Amino acid sequence: MPEKNIDFGRFGAQGIKGSDAVARKLDELAGGIATPVTAKRGWTARLHYLTKSTQTLKAAQDAGLTVTHRTLKAWLEGERRPSKANLKRIDQVYRAVRRHNVARHLLRRLNRDGRGTRVEIHPLNQSQVPQPLQRVVEYRTMNVRRWDRIVGSWAAGDPQSLDAAWQDTIVDLGSQWGQYEYVTNVGFAA
Amino acid sequence: MSDFDAIDSLLDAVGPEAELPPCQVRRELRERARLSKAQVARALGVSPSTLSGWESGRDPAGEIRTKYAYLLDGLNTKLATETATETEAAPAAERPLTSDTAATVTPSSSPDPGQDEDGDDVELLVVPEPCVLCGRPAGQRVAGFAQHLAPADCQPTATGAPAAAPAPPAEQPTAQTPKAPLCTARPVRATERSKGPARHAFQEPSGPVGLIREAVQGVLAEHRGDVDAATAALLKRAIPDAMRLLDETRKGARYDVIAHPWIPDILKKQTARGADQIWEARPKWTRHELPPGRHEVTALDINGAYLSALKTHLPLGQLEHSTGLAHDRRRSGVHLITPPEWEHEAVLPNPIGQRDEPGPLWVTEPTLRLLLRLSGPKHQLCAPPQIHESYTSGATENLLEKFRIALKDARDTAIEQGDTVTLEYVKAMYSKFVSTMGESNYNRELYRPDWMHLIRSQAFANLWLKALKAHDEGLAVVRAMGTDELHVIGDWRRVFAEGRGVTEVKVKDTYAAGTDAGEHAGEGE
Repeated sequence: MPEKNIDFGRFGAQGIKGSDAVARKLDELAGGIATPVTAKRGWTARLHYLTKSTQTLKAAQDAGLTVTHRTLKAWLEGERRPSKANLKRIDQVYRAVRRHNVARHLLRRLNRDGRGTRVEIHPLNQSQVPQPLQRVVEYRTMNVRRWDRIVGSWAAGDPQSLDAAWQDTIVDLGSQWGQYEYVTNVGFAA
Repeated sequence: MSDFDAIDSLLDAVGPEAELPPCQVRRELRERARLSKAQVARALGVSPSTLSGWESGRDPAGEIRTKYAYLLDGLNTKLATETATETEAAPAAERPLTSDTAATVTPSSSPDPGQDEDGDDVELLVVPEPCVLCGRPAGQRVAGFAQHLAPADCQPTATGAPAAAPAPPAEQPTAQTPKAPLCTARPVRATERSKGPARHAFQEPSGPVGLIREAVQGVLAEHRGDVDAATAALLKRAIPDAMRLLDETRKGARYDVIAHPWIPDILKKQTARGADQIWEARPKWTRHELPPGRHEVTALDINGAYLSALKTHLPLGQLEHSTGLAHDRRRSGVHLITPPEWEHEAVLPNPIGQRDEPGPLWVTEPTLRLLLRLSGPKHQLCAPPQIHESYTSGATENLLEKFRIALKDARDTAIEQGDTVTLEYVKAMYSKFVSTMGESNYNRELYRPDWMHLIRSQAFANLWLKALKAHDEGLAVVRAMGTDELHVIGDWRRVFAEGRGVTEVKVKDTYAAGTDAGEHAGEGE
């Protein structure tokens, strides 16, 4: 795509990839356990979530929770504590399973029977860019009607395809869409 | 040949000049037609000042004169025919008036054109429309509904034979109405209005107030008039309805409501149940010592405090960080300040509320403006606050103004009519709108914790200013609490109006307090 930024931030612009902002917002909307995984309350809650049924356990194993039933049992009964590496893995697996579980519901809310959701795009921060190089980049809003690809790749935990999906979406902003590849925030409600 | 064509057209142009009525008549015609100078000038393609010239002595010439004459002639005939029908219909009562102004081209209208006897908006219809009561053609429209004015004309179709007593035909639409002369003043309006479908009866009411009324009526109908059930149902949908109302009131507005801006960390909750770092300056103050003697204390309640607080300087876009700058009146947001010393704790609450910790704190725009105002030359109650850091954005006071006025109007009407359902609904709308506009899961469409803090602080600042007003007028302020509670000693009725409007106060409670002749009586609650 010719509009893509080649060397973002070279002149001091600040921002994050639009798709990262979308993923962040979707995570926020998905909600979940707020307590950090390092606290006992946090990791036990995550483990309980992951072992609630055989289906979720299967999903967790598919997502990378490769420990034996014995170990899981020991963790859940409080005999042992997961190691640091395992805590990290539990968090990742929890996030993946949670995303997967929430995705269907979230997708329905965002698509709203084809009416879509209004998305606000807050442009990148140019405060550190030298004055002559600053450009007028406006705050934009757009209605996104089809969220299937965005939510699908977010749920699958695939940042590259999410990025591609988001880029295909913001092309609808018009010829200046390249200015919105990096943003400070992307806001929408579900 | 072409030369001769040009000459011919010139010769055609040279003819008798169009006749124009005298100057006063020109003006009168225009005014009676309720046309402004600007309107007429635009239609003729001249400037309004030129038109004033023509109406006060000068005469137009050439082509424009023909146009002007055509316009005046048209107005003249229009007004003349309409007044003729009126006078024909009206009995002798109207005649003397018309003969008074015989000098003018057309008979004049009733002396006070803007006023109707009963204040109703009676319009004449050129083409009769079915009466809302009996369904037969009626020549007048009152408050948007075509209807007969005399009960004799208006008979339900079931009883009155439709063919036997036909309604007034189109040629004589006002023949049977006693009130018809009232309408002579607005001939133009009457014709204009009947054209479009805009004022037809039983159309959906448009606009924000209509939205509220519609919702209440719909829910009441759904619950078959069960007031409690309807109120409960309305309270449940108050938040989405408030958002819809907000969208409605922002139509065609200058600024977008930006619902999901980037939010600085100070405005984010530290933990799931915790608070963020903003100090809202909630007053929670009781006077330490009462003036000597026994007093009757009145607890006053400020009506619709949050509703009034919707009028505040709200930042529009994303908050931008700045340090060490002076206060900018055109921006609004949150500021890290060191508050000034407050030396009037004995008689007035501290404008930053009951703050236990010393040192700098994050306050919102209304609190800062209050402090700046109090430190200004007019009051000189404290030193100016020191601003260290700010997160601000360009601000406007009018962002929620239409929204506020729509709710206020609905509230006023509900109070007037004793309509508790609408009253509760409106109250739930504004209070829940304010309380959920931050990081609430109940309203995800708006994510503006900054606005929430600002509106609350504005309510507190408003209460504080009421306390100051009471103090300045010689009342003793005993307690200022929360958003709407103010306890005073003295004749408060000369300071505040009593009532239920948003500018008025109501009495919550009265109690006696103070020491009785040296002996400590304590506070009666």
